[in-house]
Amino acid sequence: MSTQLSEAPARPTAPDRPGRSSTTTGTAALFRFALRRDRVRLTVWIAAGTAMVALQSVSSQSFYDSPGALAAYRASVGSNAATIALAGPPVGLDTVAGAVAFEISATVMLIAALMAMFTVTRHTRADEEAGRTELLRSARVGRHAPLLAAVLLAALACAALAVAVGLGATATGLPATGSFVLGASFGAAGQVFTGITAVAVQVTGHTRSVYGLVGGLFAVFFVLRAVGDIEGNWVVWTSPIGWAQAAHPFSDDAVLPLLLCLVVAVVLVLGGFALLDRRDLGAGLTQPRPGRASATPWLRSPLGLAVRLQRGALLAWVLGLALLGVVYGALADSVETLIAGNEEALAVFGDPDVDDLVSAYLSTTFSITALLAAAYAVSSVLRARTEESDQRAEPVLATATSRSAWLGSHVAVALVGSALAMTASGVTTGVVRVLQTGEAAAFGRMVGAALAYVPAVWVVAGIAVALFGLLPRLAAALSWAAVGLFLVITMFAESFDWPGWVGDLSPVSWVPLMPLEPWTTGPVLVLTALAGALLAASFAGFRRRDLATG
Amino acid sequence: MTAISVAGLVKTFGATRALDGLDLEVSTGEVHGFLGPNGSGKSTTIRVLLGLLRPDAGQVRLLDGDPWRDAVALHRRLAYVPGDVTLWPNISGGESIDLLGRLQGGLDPRRRAELLDRFDLDPRKKARTYSKGNRQKVALVAALASDAELLVLDEPTSGLDPLMEAVFQGCIREVRAEGRTVLLSSHILAEAEALCDRVSIIRHGRTVQSGSLDELRHLTRTAITAETVRPAAGLESLAGVHDLRHEDGRVRFDVDTDALDGALRHLTGLGVVSLTSAPPTLEELFLRHYGDELADDGTAAREPVRS
Ligand SMILES: Nc1ncnc2c1ncn2[C@@H]1O[C@H](COP(=O)(O)OP(=O)(O)OP(=O)(O)O)[C@@H](O)[C@H]1O
Ligand SMILES: [Mg+2]
Repeated sequence: MSTQLSEAPARPTAPDRPGRSSTTTGTAALFRFALRRDRVRLTVWIAAGTAMVALQSVSSQSFYDSPGALAAYRASVGSNAATIALAGPPVGLDTVAGAVAFEISATVMLIAALMAMFTVTRHTRADEEAGRTELLRSARVGRHAPLLAAVLLAALACAALAVAVGLGATATGLPATGSFVLGASFGAAGQVFTGITAVAVQVTGHTRSVYGLVGGLFAVFFVLRAVGDIEGNWVVWTSPIGWAQAAHPFSDDAVLPLLLCLVVAVVLVLGGFALLDRRDLGAGLTQPRPGRASATPWLRSPLGLAVRLQRGALLAWVLGLALLGVVYGALADSVETLIAGNEEALAVFGDPDVDDLVSAYLSTTFSITALLAAAYAVSSVLRARTEESDQRAEPVLATATSRSAWLGSHVAVALVGSALAMTASGVTTGVVRVLQTGEAAAFGRMVGAALAYVPAVWVVAGIAVALFGLLPRLAAALSWAAVGLFLVITMFAESFDWPGWVGDLSPVSWVPLMPLEPWTTGPVLVLTALAGALLAASFAGFRRRDLATG
Repeated sequence: MTAISVAGLVKTFGATRALDGLDLEVSTGEVHGFLGPNGSGKSTTIRVLLGLLRPDAGQVRLLDGDPWRDAVALHRRLAYVPGDVTLWPNISGGESIDLLGRLQGGLDPRRRAELLDRFDLDPRKKARTYSKGNRQKVALVAALASDAELLVLDEPTSGLDPLMEAVFQGCIREVRAEGRTVLLSSHILAEAEALCDRVSIIRHGRTVQSGSLDELRHLTRTAITAETVRPAAGLESLAGVHDLRHEDGRVRFDVDTDALDGALRHLTGLGVVSLTSAPPTLEELFLRHYGDELADDGTAAREPVRS
C-alpha cells in the first residue's frame, strides 16, 4: 500500500493530505448539500415571513389612512392587555409603520424561530437519529462539521429573512431604515434560536424532544416578554424575544439589543460545540436507562400504546396551558392600570366599564389558549401519521387490532388531551381570578369559558384526522396550514375589519366570547356535529386505503 | 388444505407494477420458502396477505378468509415478523414483545422466557439501544411465543449471527412439528434449503417457479466434463444440452436432469476416457432465476411445477 503510494506520481493538489484534517473538515461540502436539500423549504419560510410583513403593511396603510383612525387604534391597543400580550411593546404607534411592526413582529419572530429550529435539527439530530450522520462521519467529515454546517445554514437563512423583510417592507412604502431594523430584529431572534437549538440537539437524543425543548423555551420566553410588556418593567429583558422587539423599529431603531441577540447566539453555538465533544455519536448527554423487562398490565391495547407514546407531550401541554392560565389570570388586574394610565384611551372610550374590559381581555386570552390547545391536538393526531410512515403501525395492524381501534386510540388521546388542556387553563385562570376578586362565582365562569372552546378545538383536530384518513401524504402540511390560518384569523380579522365570512372560516370564532358574551348552544352543537362528521369521514377513508409502506 | 392461496395478484403503486399476476399456494403445515431478488415483490405480497395493502386484481385467500375484509379475525390466528423491524424508541424490548403478543391474542409466558433465553436477548433495553440483530430478535420472540397457526416471516433472519440463525432454524422445525404453517421470505439459500418443504421463486412480481426442493433440484443442470476416444460430435443436436464447449480434447456442457441419461448414452457410444460431473445445486437455479439472462435463455417459459 505504502509502496504504491510512493510510486504514484505526485499530485499537484493536496486536498487529501491527512495533515489537513481537522474537526471541521467537510463543512463546506455538507453546507452545500444541506442548502440543496433545504432550498425549497427555506424559500417558503422566508417568503412566508416577508409576505406577512408586506400584507400587513399594505392593509395597515389603507386601514389607518387618517390620523384619527391611527389615534383610535393607539387608544384601543395601548389599553388592551390581551393585544400587548400577543404582539409586543406598544411603542411607535404614532406612525402607521410602527403599527405594522407592532402587529406583525410576534408572528414573524415565531416563523424565524421555527425556521431556525427545524433547519438546525434536520441536519444534526434528525440525521444522527436516522443513522445518516454515521455514514457521513465515516467519510472525511470532521466531528464538528455537521453542526457547523447546520448552524451556518440556519444563520444564512435568518440573514436572508432579515434582508427580504427589509426589502419587502421598503417596497410597500415603509421607511427604509426602520424596514431593515424590523427585518434585522426577526433575523436576530432567529439567530438566538439557532443557538438554542444547537445546544438542544446535544442535550437530548430524540428529534421529537428537541422540538419540545425549543418550542417550550419559545413559549416561556414569549410569556416572559408578554408579562414585561404589559407591566412595562424589566421582565422583558429576561427574554431574547424581548431583546429583539426592543429594537423598536420605525421609532427608536435601536441596534444594540440586536447585537445582544447575536452575542448570545454565538455563545450558545460555542456551548453546543462544547457539549458535542462530551457525548457519543447518536446519544444525548445522558445514557438511556434500562426499561422494564415486561410490560405493565395496562399496556395491552392500542389505547394503552397511544397513551404510553403520547403521555410526555400530553403532560407538557396540560402543564403549559395551566401555567399560561395563571399568567393570563394574573395579568387581568393590569387591564385596569393600563386603561387608567392611558389618556388617549380614556378620551376615546370615555369612562369605560372596567369589568367589561377585563371580561373582553379574558375572552381574548381564552381564544388564544384554544388555538394552542388546537395546535396540541393537531400534533397529537399527526403522531398517528408518524407511526404509520415510520412503519411502526404495521406490526400493530398485523395483530388483531382493527384500523379503527388503532386510529381511534390516537384520536382519543388528542381529543381528551386537548379538552384536559383547556380545562386546566380554565381552572388556573379561575383560581387566580377568585383570589384577585374574592368572588367565588368567577371560578365557574372561567372554567365554562374555557370549556366552551372544546368543540372548536375538536373541529381543528377533526380536520387533521380527516386529512390523515383521506390525504395522508398532505396531512401534516395541510393541518398545520389550517392551524396557521385560524391563528391569523383570530389575531387579525377583527382589527382589520375583514368581511364576516373570513372570520367564520375559523371554528374558534364561532364560539361565544365568554365571559364577555353569554353562552349560546347553537354554534357549539354545530361544531360538535362537524367534528363528528370529520372523524367519520376519516375513519371511512382510513379503512379503505393502503397503509403507507415507506 | 391450503393456508394461503393467491392467484393472479396485481398491485400497482402509481406507475410501478409491484405485483404483476402473482400466484402462490401454501399448504397447511408446510414451511414455504418465498424467494426472489430485491424489489421482486415479496414484502408487497406479504402486506397484501396481511390486509395492509389492498390488491388491485386477483384472488387472495388466507386461512379461508379474505385478508382485507376479515383482517382482524385472521390476525388472531397469525403472527408476523416484518422485514424492517422498527420499534418504539422509548419502549423496552420486553414491553414490545408483551404488547405485540397481547394485541395478537395472548402469548405463553413460559415460551416467552424460554425464547428470550435461547435468543440471548436482554428484554430491558430500550429499542433505540438495540443492535439490528437484536431488534430482529424482539420481533421473532414476539411471533414465536404466540400460538398462531400461521407464521408470516419477511426475511426474519437478516442481521442474525450464525449461532442465532441455528437457533431460529431449530425454532422453525419445532413450529413445523406442531403442525403449524410458515411462510418464510428469505435471501439465504442455505436457510431455505434447510427449512422449506416447498419454495416459490418470484421475479418482477410474477411467480417463475414453485415446487418442492426435489422438484426444483430436478430442474437444475448437471455440469459434465468428458474426454472421449472419438471426437465428441453430435452432442449439440441433443435436447437438454446447453453451453457446449470443446477444450483441448475435452468436451464440457451443462445438461438438464431429464436429458442426462441420453447425453451419457451418447458419450459412452464415443468411448469415455474420463468423466467428471458436478451435481446440480439449488444455488445455481436461484442465480439463474435471479439473474438477467433469464429472459433470453428460455427458462422463463417453463411451466411452474406443482405438487
Ligand atoms: N409504497 C410504495 N410505493 C411505490 N413503490 C413501492 C411501494 N412499496 C413497494 N414498492 C415497489 O414495489 C416493488 C416490490 O417491492 P417489495 O418491497 O415488495 O420487494 P421485496 O421483494 O420485498 O424486496 P427486498 O428483497 O429488497 O425486500 C419494488 O419495486 C418497490 O420499489
Ligand atoms: Mg422485502
